[in-house]
Amino acid sequence: MRRNGNIIKRSVGWFSVFLCVGLFMLGVFMVGQPSGAQSMEASDTLSVPADPISFQQGPGSAIASSYCLICHSAEYIYTQPPHSHERWTEIIKKMKHTFGCPIPDEHISPLAEYLVSQNTIQPIPEAKKFTGLAHIPTRESGSPEKGKAIYNTYCLNCHGQTGKGDGPIGQALIPPAADLTATGNKSDTILLNTIRNGRPGTAMPSWKSDLSKQEMEDILAYIRNLTKS
Amino acid sequence: MADDSLYPDLGEIGTEETESAYVYKEHAMKKTRTEKDSELTRRRFLSASLALGAASFVKPGVLWAENAPKVDLPFERGRRPLVAFPQKRPLMVMTTRPPQLETPFHLFDENIFTPNDAFFVRWHLANIPSQIDMNTFRLKIRGRVTQPLSLNLAELKRDFEQVEVAAVCQCGGNSRGFFDPRVPGGQWGNGAMGNAKWTGVRLRDLLAKAGLNDDGLQVRFDGLDQPIADGTPDFRKSLNLEDAVQETVVVAHSMNGEPLPWLNGFPLRLVVPGWFATYWVKMLNDIEVLNKHDQQFWMAKAYRLPADPCACVQPGEKIVRSVPIGKMTVRSFITNVQDSGTVVGGTPLTVKGIAFDQGYGIDRVLFSVDGGRQWQAASLGQDYGDFSFRPWEVQFTPVSGRTYMLQSLAVNRIGEPQRFSARWNPSGYLRNVVETVHIHAT
Repeated sequence: MRRNGNIIKRSVGWFSVFLCVGLFMLGVFMVGQPSGAQSMEASDTLSVPADPISFQQGPGSAIASSYCLICHSAEYIYTQPPHSHERWTEIIKKMKHTFGCPIPDEHISPLAEYLVSQNTIQPIPEAKKFTGLAHIPTRESGSPEKGKAIYNTYCLNCHGQTGKGDGPIGQALIPPAADLTATGNKSDTILLNTIRNGRPGTAMPSWKSDLSKQEMEDILAYIRNLTKS
Repeated sequence: MADDSLYPDLGEIGTEETESAYVYKEHAMKKTRTEKDSELTRRRFLSASLALGAASFVKPGVLWAENAPKVDLPFERGRRPLVAFPQKRPLMVMTTRPPQLETPFHLFDENIFTPNDAFFVRWHLANIPSQIDMNTFRLKIRGRVTQPLSLNLAELKRDFEQVEVAAVCQCGGNSRGFFDPRVPGGQWGNGAMGNAKWTGVRLRDLLAKAGLNDDGLQVRFDGLDQPIADGTPDFRKSLNLEDAVQETVVVAHSMNGEPLPWLNGFPLRLVVPGWFATYWVKMLNDIEVLNKHDQQFWMAKAYRLPADPCACVQPGEKIVRSVPIGKMTVRSFITNVQDSGTVVGGTPLTVKGIAFDQGYGIDRVLFSVDGGRQWQAASLGQDYGDFSFRPWEVQFTPVSGRTYMLQSLAVNRIGEPQRFSARWNPSGYLRNVVETVHIHAT
């Protein structure tokens, strides 16, 4: 028997509208879960598990770690079928020219060589327990003044006085330290995540054991000021 | 699942769950083998082709062993760990960053509507907001409109008619791992698809409220996800206006009666029934009416098919003329009998499966036990709408000692069948060949 249409109209009860608006006013928005075990509030932060595997050590692995891991985890490589040197070269060039991977030309051939050498293996992630939901409590906005002091201690050597990545060792790094004045389009979440967990493939380390959550917020507030000036 | 005996006996499976953390228990089968042994045995076991792809032996709610929460898809480098991401049960991880998770295939036998926590996940860009402030979140409708709109979720639910549509969401590259010769890209088995009831508002109601200018040609959709590298094009997709204003195109806030999971596009996602999932933009916050064809990367360069009716080329051949990927092809799967499985001879067996197409609806499903030499009609189950999975089933009595090649062939209401030979294209799109499940009757 054929149905008349594929769209079913659903009426909205005023009660649910009222309830919905009420929840907004409370600033609490729940993402329901059939089991009821997990929920998301507007102030919660969700995160995916950390990259479970890294590149196998070998000639060229440092290049792979520096550039491939900027945008995706190593699993993208280790789930590919075997590709020829030519095919890998095409793929790397696509990553560079189409997707903006900042890999210098002289690294392309050694990287292709490395990826060919990885063609037939598939490293297995270490067993880890992941929780269904990562809960991080509500944020408190940071103080740019406090942030400046912390910045000068921890960040200045690489990112420099102006934040442009021109600190004493910032330009010597491959890739160079990030220009923090150009981060205006990045969300708070992504910047805090970078401070907290570091940035794979770069010299940016994780600061989670050195800085408190509030100190990271302070640094963020200071960086936002650098962006404006 | 209908009949546990169809699945190979793999020993005891752990079943522990603590409050919010999934606890894995060691799986008995694999720990006793060396890696090499395991590889060989696995290959032999799978060599009869595991056409159903996601050969998961995990039952829902059963949580896996710490060292063996894995599925082996039947192609090279097909090993996938099963990991529970936020709001998800353990799914097959293709990549962690950006998250790309495949639904273990047996779940399609247990559910005509794929549970939200089992629904596949595919993001292009790794910068996904992990925090969305619903007090400030707005959906914008702008561009070639007379009155641009900026709506919060409450307004969307209050000011527009709420509608529901049952529809399959399938990645254009679903089953890419089965392409022969292999192609680059995300190496999915058959589980990069799902069926859900989507609730929200019609896109055309939003466009009507904003008022279309006379020169509107396409509608472009953007979500909150952002690139990591500065040079990566932001992920945006466009539909021609005539496709965008179809009654079934919905801006959905709910999936199977619950708010969208974060990884499936919370708080809003575009639902384009019949079209491949690339158009179902997640975390949708911007709708722009254009007066010219969208020339940005994700329309003009990515997700392109050879511009011929087959959407195929000879292996290795480059595409000369291309068109954007669009609507889905007709497919069917056997869901309750696993490839390389064993069944009891002399006992009637009910073979179950699903079929779907781009929205003409399924007219019939044919079934063969001899690799397609003879066919019989399967009976179609409940019709949940033209865009939904359509269940089907058929009975046959296997004879002891014989080996069977089970196949299903769906035909839609305009008479389009599945393909008998697999098409090949360099991006691995649109697989819809008749799949084969090998079984042996004892």
